[in-house]
Amino acid sequence: MLAIRNLNKRYGRFQAVSDLNLDISEGEIFGFVGPNGAGKTTTMKIICGLLRATSGEITLDGTDIIQNSKSIKEKIGYMPDFFGVYDDLKVSEYLEFYASIYNIKGQERKRITDDLLELVDLNSKREAYVDSLSRGMKQRLCLARSLVHNPRLLVLDEPASGMDPRARFEMKEILKNLKGMGKTIIISSHILSELAELCTSIGIIDQGRMVISGSNAEIMQQVYNKKVVKLKVTARLDDAVLILKEYPFVDKLVIGENTIQAGFKGGDGEMSRVLSGLISRGIPVVSFAQMDGNLEDVFMKVTRGEEEQWA
Amino acid sequence: MGINPVLLKELKVRMRGWRAAGIIALYLLVLTAVAVFIIYTVFTDPYTSSIDPQVSIGAYTGLAIIQFILIMFIVPALTAGAISGEREKQTLDLVLCTKLRPISIITGKLFASTSQTLLLIIASFPIFSMVFLFGGISIKEITQLFGFYMVTAVTIGSIGIFFSTHLKRTTASTVLTYGTLAFLAFGTIFIGVFYIRIFYQWDYEKFLPLLYSNPLAGFSSLLAEQFGYYGGINSFLGLSAGLGRNSNAVKAISPWLGNIIFDAVLSAVLLALSAARINPVRKGIFGFLRSGRRRKKASGN
Ligand SMILES: Nc1ncnc2c1ncn2[C@@H]1O[C@H](COP(=O)(O)OP(=O)(O)O)[C@@H](O)[C@H]1O
Ligand SMILES: [Mg+2]
Repeated sequence: MLAIRNLNKRYGRFQAVSDLNLDISEGEIFGFVGPNGAGKTTTMKIICGLLRATSGEITLDGTDIIQNSKSIKEKIGYMPDFFGVYDDLKVSEYLEFYASIYNIKGQERKRITDDLLELVDLNSKREAYVDSLSRGMKQRLCLARSLVHNPRLLVLDEPASGMDPRARFEMKEILKNLKGMGKTIIISSHILSELAELCTSIGIIDQGRMVISGSNAEIMQQVYNKKVVKLKVTARLDDAVLILKEYPFVDKLVIGENTIQAGFKGGDGEMSRVLSGLISRGIPVVSFAQMDGNLEDVFMKVTRGEEEQWA
Repeated sequence: MGINPVLLKELKVRMRGWRAAGIIALYLLVLTAVAVFIIYTVFTDPYTSSIDPQVSIGAYTGLAIIQFILIMFIVPALTAGAISGEREKQTLDLVLCTKLRPISIITGKLFASTSQTLLLIIASFPIFSMVFLFGGISIKEITQLFGFYMVTAVTIGSIGIFFSTHLKRTTASTVLTYGTLAFLAFGTIFIGVFYIRIFYQWDYEKFLPLLYSNPLAGFSSLLAEQFGYYGGINSFLGLSAGLGRNSNAVKAISPWLGNIIFDAVLSAVLLALSAARINPVRKGIFGFLRSGRRRKKASGN
């Protein structure tokens, strides 16, 4: 549905997004995870036509988003990370304003407003002035606003940031509802576990680069296994795989042409046992190294603070 | 497409509560005070008789001038925060990410402030109608006058919106809007006077194109053309007013017409530039300049 090819964004000389590639298919909930300043907001704004990419191409259902910005914008609903509301407008008027932009009138407008207020649980506040709402309510209202034109793709930039645990929980319930409705969603967070139960796939971005992306299960395993070893052999790849599988603490293998990536639950001791095991059985290992610290760094960053959060 | 949604929303918000009513009340109060003052002065003047059309022309002129000055002061306040205010409140992205075109956002804002001005002008009509009592003024003059007000209001509004899209802060935008108005109203005259004084050039015609940009010149020439040299016009900016009837200048169009044409062109250009400025994905030199400026304010998230 959404395809991003070699996306680059520079602010002056600062490279905020580098060669980003991403494919999101219909119905997918994609978690966009990365520490602050990684380039999540930048990428999302470019998708929504609020920022011009330095280079690269983005298509939605095969249509270029810049060339057809008006029709694309009818298909995308965007919720920014920071936003304001108009004072002097009531909650229902606020939604009606955005609905009127999409030519939604009369009975239909009323029905959509009602449905959305129901969805985000703001029915009781419909006559309240928008700026009198709490932060969590404003965030829910903003989410409802991004849904007025029934977009197929939702781009939500840290929708739960700055909320207290209760508001966060409510937001999650709403997002699960949207998932049930079959929306395609891109949702960002700087905390990986926050998205764990919601997303079908996850991409981790750091310093403008997509470090890793894949299905939820794959990413979670790689991240929480902490150690990933990449080994290279000159022959007998299949035997090496069989030997690795004998060790209970080796739980995931990604097999390449003559390389294997192995996920480890254990520590250095286990790693050396595996290496000597391979060599003693005659496997021609040419390299055996823990995968680049970069990835681990990112994992540390995006998993930091989880204990406090979920304690 | 129907009515511009931004216009509708702006009107709803602006007309809500006591503020809009307060502005109208204050506005009418000032105008009424002026009207009463003028009529009182004229009636107590032993040299004019009370049935003289001079009375109504004098009152009309006084009211017209005061109303013009009020418009020049009010419209910048109504427009200079149009876009910068949305930026400050972080609501601009929420409109830009919809399918609304940038030019619709700009015109929605402009017409909202113009409508508010129109409301003030219409509300002033009963006060103006007092001058009918004394004769000498026809509906034609009033229509011309109000038409000129509207053109001026749209132009000043476009200037306000232009600065409000190009500057980050509403205060800066407000200052520059009033500054630009001051330049158009007085700066151009200064330039003309300097030109005449320093170079001993007395050919007014060369000076005339510059005056087309001057709203006061256009306005006073309109009044002068309506009633000739009467009504105290020649003491108020007699220089420019005189030009409307200056025999050397008749070849050129009168300043008020020139002013209207100038206003139309200026507004169109400023509105187009404003729309381009808020379009986040436009190409070209403006986009380049903007990304350079953004870099300076680089901040997290
Ligand atoms: N308008 C801007 N001008 C210059 N630098 C910017 C601008 N916006 C963001 N950046 C920089 O780009 C990087 C990525 O920012 P952002 O996309 O907001 O990250 P995230 O949303 O992942 O926290 C950050 O280092 C940020 O400082
Ligand atoms: Mg961000």
